[in-house]
Amino acid sequence: MIPDIISSLHGSFKPGAHSELRAQRSLARRVVLLGGNLVGNTRQDSQGVSARVYSNGVYGFASAADLSAEAARRALDTASSNALFLDEQVRPGKGALPKINPGSLPRQADFHDAEQKRYLDFVLPLDEYISKKYPGLASRTVVATADSMEKQLLTSDGYAAHILAPRSYVYVFLNAVTDAGMPVEVFKSFGGLGGFDVNFEDPASLHGEVDKLYEHLMKKREGVFARAGMATCILSGELSGILAHEAVGHTVEADLVLGGSVAGPMLNQMVASPLVSMTDFAHTAFGERAPLPVHVDDEGVLAEDAELIRNGKLVGYMVNRELGRHFNMRPQGNARAFSFNDEPLIRMRNTAIHPGPSKLQDMISQTEDGYYLMYTNNGQADTTGEFMFGVTLGYEIKDGRLGRAIHDTTISGVAFDMLKTVDLVSDQVTWASSGFCGKKQPMPVGVGGPELRCRVMIGGR
Amino acid sequence: MTREDMAARLALSTLQNLGADEASAQAFTSRKTEFNVAGGKFTLLRTTLDHSLALQAFSGQRRGTVSGNSFDEDAVKSAAADCVASAQAGQPDPAWEIAKEGAGSFETGAYELDREKLFERTREMIDSIHRDYPQIMLEEVTAEHTAREGIYLNSHGVRYESKSGAYSAFVMFSGHEGDKSSSFNHAGFYTDNLDKPFLELGSLRQNLEDAQKQIHTQATEGKFEGTIIFTPDCLGSMLSELISNYASDGVLLDGTSLWKDALGTQVADARLTLSVNPSDPRVVNGENYTPEGFRSKDYDLIRDGVLTQFMLSAYGANKTGKTRAPNTSFALVMKPGETSLSDLIKGTQKGLLVSRYSGGAAGAGGEFSGVAKNSFLIENGQIGPAVSETMISGNLAGMLKHIRGISKETVEDGTGSLPWLAVDGITISGK
Repeated sequence: MIPDIISSLHGSFKPGAHSELRAQRSLARRVVLLGGNLVGNTRQDSQGVSARVYSNGVYGFASAADLSAEAARRALDTASSNALFLDEQVRPGKGALPKINPGSLPRQADFHDAEQKRYLDFVLPLDEYISKKYPGLASRTVVATADSMEKQLLTSDGYAAHILAPRSYVYVFLNAVTDAGMPVEVFKSFGGLGGFDVNFEDPASLHGEVDKLYEHLMKKREGVFARAGMATCILSGELSGILAHEAVGHTVEADLVLGGSVAGPMLNQMVASPLVSMTDFAHTAFGERAPLPVHVDDEGVLAEDAELIRNGKLVGYMVNRELGRHFNMRPQGNARAFSFNDEPLIRMRNTAIHPGPSKLQDMISQTEDGYYLMYTNNGQADTTGEFMFGVTLGYEIKDGRLGRAIHDTTISGVAFDMLKTVDLVSDQVTWASSGFCGKKQPMPVGVGGPELRCRVMIGGR
Repeated sequence: MTREDMAARLALSTLQNLGADEASAQAFTSRKTEFNVAGGKFTLLRTTLDHSLALQAFSGQRRGTVSGNSFDEDAVKSAAADCVASAQAGQPDPAWEIAKEGAGSFETGAYELDREKLFERTREMIDSIHRDYPQIMLEEVTAEHTAREGIYLNSHGVRYESKSGAYSAFVMFSGHEGDKSSSFNHAGFYTDNLDKPFLELGSLRQNLEDAQKQIHTQATEGKFEGTIIFTPDCLGSMLSELISNYASDGVLLDGTSLWKDALGTQVADARLTLSVNPSDPRVVNGENYTPEGFRSKDYDLIRDGVLTQFMLSAYGANKTGKTRAPNTSFALVMKPGETSLSDLIKGTQKGLLVSRYSGGAAGAGGEFSGVAKNSFLIENGQIGPAVSETMISGNLAGMLKHIRGISKETVEDGTGSLPWLAVDGITISGK
């Protein structure tokens, strides 16, 4: 727990300027077993204070790797001086930000930063299970990882908060070689919100998951290349979540709208099938805790859900305080910073497509010729909404049944075109939260969705 | 004695006192000054003062690493204790190695910041873009100066001191006309001086010009095999993927690299020579020593098409019985060809000029498929319309054996030097 160094510094804020002070500590641990060799065994700890001051339309920011009240005061002075320098150079003359509701979010429950040995004690037996049960693997990798952010926030107007956000995961990678000598790989991550010792008590709890992963690997080993071109595909919840985040979510971040994203002229227009609704959830989704809850953002805004698509119509953007004023939209808690020395940017939190009425099995049986795409290793999209996702596990669908596995491939399309082809939406939402979104700074995010049937371009031969 | 020196010495002595057989400690201070531009307007001036402390301990051939950012005595001692505890919790592996000798003091680049001139160069770039490229919308611009100084020590007496500074910029943009827009593209560079306008550095001007021509696109119809000419920016990302799949620690340690037995054999067209040269004068603040404490030296990864070296750490080399790479940087320098870019285009019957590739990580076999972004169709030796919704797929290793040509022009962005590379046999598919 970091010491309280900023709650008494309200008097240091300059009158008339919106100011933020943040003290933050970020911890990360990682253990990597590659083929039984311990190739990674690391702990990272970074901490410090930062200040951001708004003046007439520009910000000054300063940080120092020092958790002390004196460092916080110095950062505030330097941030003020930086804002003044920029204001004098560019004279934007925008005046003060609209006021937001003040309040206080008390400190959340602490978490235990389990020592490195605890991670090793989990992955070593898990790795041994894999090596003994599946000796024919070409290689295997087991990774245990955890990261956490602890933030104390004080703002001249808005919420003061003390935030704790730990998460932890185990990744399993399995590799085999096809008869033609081509390496194939499958991987899956397990875990979520919470410290490592809470999420991972017994390595045997993952044995069943590893066995399922191995079955997929064996099928992929006998797999075929997808046929390149447009195809009817059922995207798993993992893929529809990535779609929601990458191909739609980024285009409706207000800073990217201002930078020319395709969503700019599309507000209040139909951008998807009426079966599609999508929300960036703050802390609660579909009646349950969201994977990575956010209660107050780093501008001191109390977090609430940002509704983005309602029954196919684009209904909102995600904004920060400044761009909320620009677009005349209420800030909903999307401004977040990754490290103590980062400024808050507009970021997604838990972005998901809403579930529909269909059952996955019915969706497969109603598909004559297509693919069921299950796992992804990454996704990218640009401001035109054109997206690409890597697919690391998928199966052919022939005459309403799952067929052969397919080799690694890529799907692509234009989000607002592709979403109009969605004709079936499943009733189950799957969340993923192990990754980082990249946008100048990394940021932990949750993505989720149901299975979607749609038309999409698939790479292959 | 500097704060960095004191922190590194304290860490190293603590590691040894706590039972580390071998150890290293690295302490750095960095100062960053960064201007941010959003939507074409200045929005933020950010200054950061950071420390970094990177510790490595070996105890009974077991290794632990810890990093932190505090030079306070208690924090340094605590980090050292964590590091030794991590090592002692691990497994013994005799392959770990740190340098037994080495010393040096390095001062490179522009350590002192000229804040007013950095602001003026940034403002000049934005004004020039608004004036010369009226269809361009600037999504994000950062222009910064970073100064670093610090020290590396290890328990064998190896000691390096370094002090460096550089300016850099990153620009992300797209072309717009009415409700039509290009895909976003970007360009960035590192430089040790502010002598030239930023618009003249790296591939920025070329990419801006191209983005204006990419507003109106044509979807590719059907599927065909053709030639791809990768721009230097795109070639860099493809080479990164290729090295990661065939020549890096991970794939050689787990034995999945298709090149694992290819050292000394022809893996590419004989015209291809690819080097990793941190001391190249076109590389700003290139690596002086490796994280394992070895003095960095330039080397050829592929010489005249023959694989001559893997990108292996000392650990990876000891584990696989191969040779350690003489540096751990990614300062890629490809030998230019003798053909002009315009002749490469003229010699292409049907294919694409690809400036950005958006694809999933290639499979372990090197099979890749992804979207050709910011790309133009080439037909009968002529550049045609910009394309959209066009995928390219092929094999990374296969690509190097089907090189059509290498341009004599190169682009330098302060991190390396790469030409345009034309390869045959790539599957291009559209709707």
